[in-house]
Amino acid sequence: MNITLHINGLDHTLDVPPHTTLLTAVRSLGYHSVKFGDEHGLSGADTVLLDGRPINAAVMLAAQAEGHKIATIEALGQHPEQGWKKTEGLHPLQRAFLETGAIQCGYCTPAQILAAKALLDRNPNPTEEEVRQAIAGVLCRCTGYLKPVQAVLRAAAEMRGEIVPEQPQDVAGVAFLDTSAEESSSPAPDSRLPQVATRIMPKVILAPEAKTWQTVGKPEVKVDAVKLVQGKPAFTADIEKRGLLYAKVLRSPHAHARIKHIDVSKAKALPGVAAVLTWKDLPRVVYSTAGQSDPIPGPLDTFSLDNKVRFVGDRVAFVAAETPEIAKQALSLIDVEYEILPAILDMRQAIDNPPVIHDEPEYVNFANSQPHRNLAAEIRIDIGDVEKGFRQADMIFEGEYVVPKVQQAHIEPHVALTYWDEDDRLVIRTSTQVPFHVRRILAPVLGLPIKRIRVIKPRIGGGFGGKQEVLIEDIPAHLTIATGRPVLYEYTREEEFIAARSRHPMRIRLKTGVKRDGTITANEMYVLSDTGAYGCHALTVTGNTGHKAMALYVGDGEYRKSPNIRFYADVVYTNTPPAGAYRGYGVPQGYWAVDRHMEKIARSLGMDPLEFRLKNALRSGEYHPFSTAWNEGREPRPEIIHTVGLEQCVAQGKAAIGWDDKFGNEAWHRSAGPNKRRGIGVALVMQGTAIPYLDMGGASIKMNDDGSFNLLVGATDLGTGSDTVLAQMAAEVLGVPVEDILCYSSDTDFTPFDKGAYASSTTYISGTAVVKAAQMAAERIKLRAAKMLNREANGRPPVQPDKIRLADRKAWAPDGRFVPLAEIALDTLHRSEQEQIMGVASYVSPSSPPPFAAQFAEVTVDLETGAVTVDKLVMAVDSGVIVNPLTASGQVEGGMTQALGYAVCEEMTWDANGRMFQRDFRNYHIFRADEMPELGVIFVETFEPTHPFGVKAVAEIPMDGVAPAVGNAILEAVGVQIDDIPITPEKVWLALRAQAGQSESRI
Amino acid sequence: MIIAYHRPRSLEEAQALLAQPNTRPLGGGTVLARWSGAPIAVVDLQALGWNRIELRGNELDVGATVTLQQLLESGSCPPALKKAIYLEMPLNLRNVATAAGTIVACDGRSPFVTALLALDAKLILADEQETVLPIGEYLPFRPAGLICRIVLPMHVRFAFEHASRTPSDLPLLCVALTQWMTGRTRIAVGGWGTSPALAMDGPEASGYDAAVYNACYHANDERASAEYRKEIAMALARRCLATIEA
Repeated sequence: MNITLHINGLDHTLDVPPHTTLLTAVRSLGYHSVKFGDEHGLSGADTVLLDGRPINAAVMLAAQAEGHKIATIEALGQHPEQGWKKTEGLHPLQRAFLETGAIQCGYCTPAQILAAKALLDRNPNPTEEEVRQAIAGVLCRCTGYLKPVQAVLRAAAEMRGEIVPEQPQDVAGVAFLDTSAEESSSPAPDSRLPQVATRIMPKVILAPEAKTWQTVGKPEVKVDAVKLVQGKPAFTADIEKRGLLYAKVLRSPHAHARIKHIDVSKAKALPGVAAVLTWKDLPRVVYSTAGQSDPIPGPLDTFSLDNKVRFVGDRVAFVAAETPEIAKQALSLIDVEYEILPAILDMRQAIDNPPVIHDEPEYVNFANSQPHRNLAAEIRIDIGDVEKGFRQADMIFEGEYVVPKVQQAHIEPHVALTYWDEDDRLVIRTSTQVPFHVRRILAPVLGLPIKRIRVIKPRIGGGFGGKQEVLIEDIPAHLTIATGRPVLYEYTREEEFIAARSRHPMRIRLKTGVKRDGTITANEMYVLSDTGAYGCHALTVTGNTGHKAMALYVGDGEYRKSPNIRFYADVVYTNTPPAGAYRGYGVPQGYWAVDRHMEKIARSLGMDPLEFRLKNALRSGEYHPFSTAWNEGREPRPEIIHTVGLEQCVAQGKAAIGWDDKFGNEAWHRSAGPNKRRGIGVALVMQGTAIPYLDMGGASIKMNDDGSFNLLVGATDLGTGSDTVLAQMAAEVLGVPVEDILCYSSDTDFTPFDKGAYASSTTYISGTAVVKAAQMAAERIKLRAAKMLNREANGRPPVQPDKIRLADRKAWAPDGRFVPLAEIALDTLHRSEQEQIMGVASYVSPSSPPPFAAQFAEVTVDLETGAVTVDKLVMAVDSGVIVNPLTASGQVEGGMTQALGYAVCEEMTWDANGRMFQRDFRNYHIFRADEMPELGVIFVETFEPTHPFGVKAVAEIPMDGVAPAVGNAILEAVGVQIDDIPITPEKVWLALRAQAGQSESRI
Repeated sequence: MIIAYHRPRSLEEAQALLAQPNTRPLGGGTVLARWSGAPIAVVDLQALGWNRIELRGNELDVGATVTLQQLLESGSCPPALKKAIYLEMPLNLRNVATAAGTIVACDGRSPFVTALLALDAKLILADEQETVLPIGEYLPFRPAGLICRIVLPMHVRFAFEHASRTPSDLPLLCVALTQWMTGRTRIAVGGWGTSPALAMDGPEASGYDAAVYNACYHANDERASAEYRKEIAMALARRCLATIEA
């Protein structure tokens, strides 16, 4: 049918099928700012304005929009300088998003801005609540919404003609906690004072070493922000290829079955179908989808297609067709006869259960995999003499804790596009955290040498570990090989739930021996972990559960010198969707158990819970207890922890949340009104920073004619801002502003190797590589600068290169003379003794310095319904030196928000046949802007001596302590223990009822 | 799959189109636009002028294609109904989803339809007789027929309460209570199953607790147990009563 769409003031006439959605139509016209997030409009990534109101383009037919005015962000604003043409620049909303750090991955940013624009067009002076309601239709998994909301308030103030504060550039001493938004109802144009204060900066307790730096430590604007705020076509699916085919996958309806017969003849005969592939068509190559360094520390137990399916949603066949609709129709024409096998859906029934999930002869074992017992991995770690420690204890505390399967829920789904280039090399453009691992792992699967594969990683719309998986790239690749044509494969939101990866569900038993004075004498954890149908990340995720969560509490006195710790785990196969990497990588599971357990012990001993924790916690100068015993299946290497800011974190966090006024204060508990009780809780946590002696990052830097630099890194910025902090470190070394560092990541043809974005490693590992490469370039610059200065010495003593300082785009001699870097660049490239100034470096670390944190939660519990409202979250974290407080605090806010979902609402469950209940954002709720608690972030800097700028990790640790802090706050509010998450109203209600029953029985 | 799209300009034209086999009315399209079942044609109702909200005496007359957001922003919309609408879906979807479409497509978790059920909303069909169908009769069977208006009583006291995992999550249980000047009290509960359930419609409020308790008798699903819902239904109904008595 012919329709005309009026978009951004222009009429577009299209001939489209009636089922065409507005999303498909606008993207086909090149408006790539409108994104696919889900089929139901609940992600909001598909937002456009229809007659000035935000609506979801994915759930509206294009024909419905005819006769209406459609607006996308492409018409809102643009880069202010486009060569000789000057433009009006960015819209105030775009500028505010950029300045306040409101953009992380940027996938939802155009939608948020459009929703905000619709609000401000109707209400130029909105309250924060109104802003939150206005953008609540756009889910953001990265930011925690704090900065986007503040961006809207800031833009609103500016658009009202009020003076808004400058973006803070200096972090001096103790700064920026405050943070009240002061808004004036009556603008005072003559006032020189800002009318609105934006609450975007964290409080930073500075490390002394940080004060002299020009760029490191400053809230620089993200290097990719300008393109993301304009909705530029920066993501995987935002390109058009002639002859593009669309892939779909037939998925298993059974949890465990063998494919007896498969007939694809009808599907192949459907007009528009280009290829149908089954297990019979592909070489049988066993591999692991875990995106990890070689050798993969886990079993090889996966095939692109197999004659056996192991969970509901497992792959059965691939189709490529001219349209997604034809591909989908073709799936329905594939006849499959299954031999249904008994399924294991409960991890407790997996070990030695007769249905063997992996009976394929090609299975490749790693360490202690025992597929005949449905064991993907087994861990047995003993540190010290645990039994002796228990014997020496005055009391033994035991408990069992349960954590669920949850989804990463990045708003951009998994998506990959493959094509042959003109050199017959296979190009894989994919939304991945691990481009180099994709290339290495897929080469044998596709029957191609590594050198004939090129992986391009554009911008990523969130990953959170879910894209540390070589999950879907093989599908379009096989279809491109089969057809010779480009193929796009994009997961539906349902596929994200039934056929992606998730956090490992676990059942965790703890046993702890304690002296009456609160000294821990021995600590034991046993974990039963469910890897689902495949063993990707099975060993390493669960290993981390003990390695990080059981390392924090070593005991005190003699036990501190020689801790007694046992960590045993069995990681089992079940017929459920596979688990994998998810931000925190096993550690949030561990801390739910460990910290709830510590709270119970402290209370049983009558000790202050914080005093008890700090008494037993790891301190600087001590060995990481696990470093002497375990290293992901490799040789352990003892490691000393140099920096522990935990006590300061506790002090800062307590002050920020008002702990001393609230904890144990019955009047405060009752201050929420009848049938409500308030409570406050805390958890202490630690993580790791990278994987020592294994993961490597590389960087190259070259100088351009104008004194700017190209920084090429294999590190993958998945929205975290890592490109920005890497550029900041390079800028610091080279003495230039960040805008002079042109950061590009990543392309396996052009950028140096990097292990990818995982294990909280980019700032630390890739950052050190960048610093080393920048230092190499700086050395060359200084040599050349000395030569140039000495040419013009005029009798002055010669300048030594090592005395030259780079700053303000100049090379400075000690006597105050200088040469601009642009002059140095011209000299080296064109004028004399020509050379390309550049540096190439890589780094692998012998250390994995842990960040530490104190996480606080304040809750209100409804005594009648059990509903828990989390009112406030505060995190005080020692992540070493903070390179960029804006992006780092965004990481913490977003991480806390994800962790809040883990605490109270997120859970993946399945029926008796293994069919997942949660298949969309209606049934799997993630936090929206209009229901967020107040968030507070404090950075307690330490200077980590193993990094040039003293940094440690920040990305994962926010996931660890929110759930136990909320659990402990509920305990403080109403006195009930909840040992499994999510803490649903029903669980609290049941506990309250049991408590009431006990009270009655005592009476 | 949708194989034909029509946008009639008159009721007659719409009715003629809808008389064709495999043809369905399209409200906002938030559900139907992603139809992937057997081929259908859709008849978009947006040009029929059914997007008005009118206060007529003791009743609020809501056009079938009034969007949920339009109703939420209406000065005539009772605050408790606004609360239910807000919970139904986020703003972007509320800007498109229509009142009638939401009724037609709802499941038992719909706060909006739970509220309408308690209000004893009347669905006016676009037939020659303008047949009036109480929502309580419509929901169990969802008979074919084009809804053109929804009529709500206004001179009533109305309250809505819910319990959910997070403030904006769909309710595990919601309770809506309407009390007429005569004392007539009508309570609906929602949060599970295929439709909200009518718990009671009596001359007075007495017995409300047993009524809501019994209405949740089979309210087991993956999100909460019937045991839980039965117990907290009484608490939420009590809160509703307290609200309207305040």
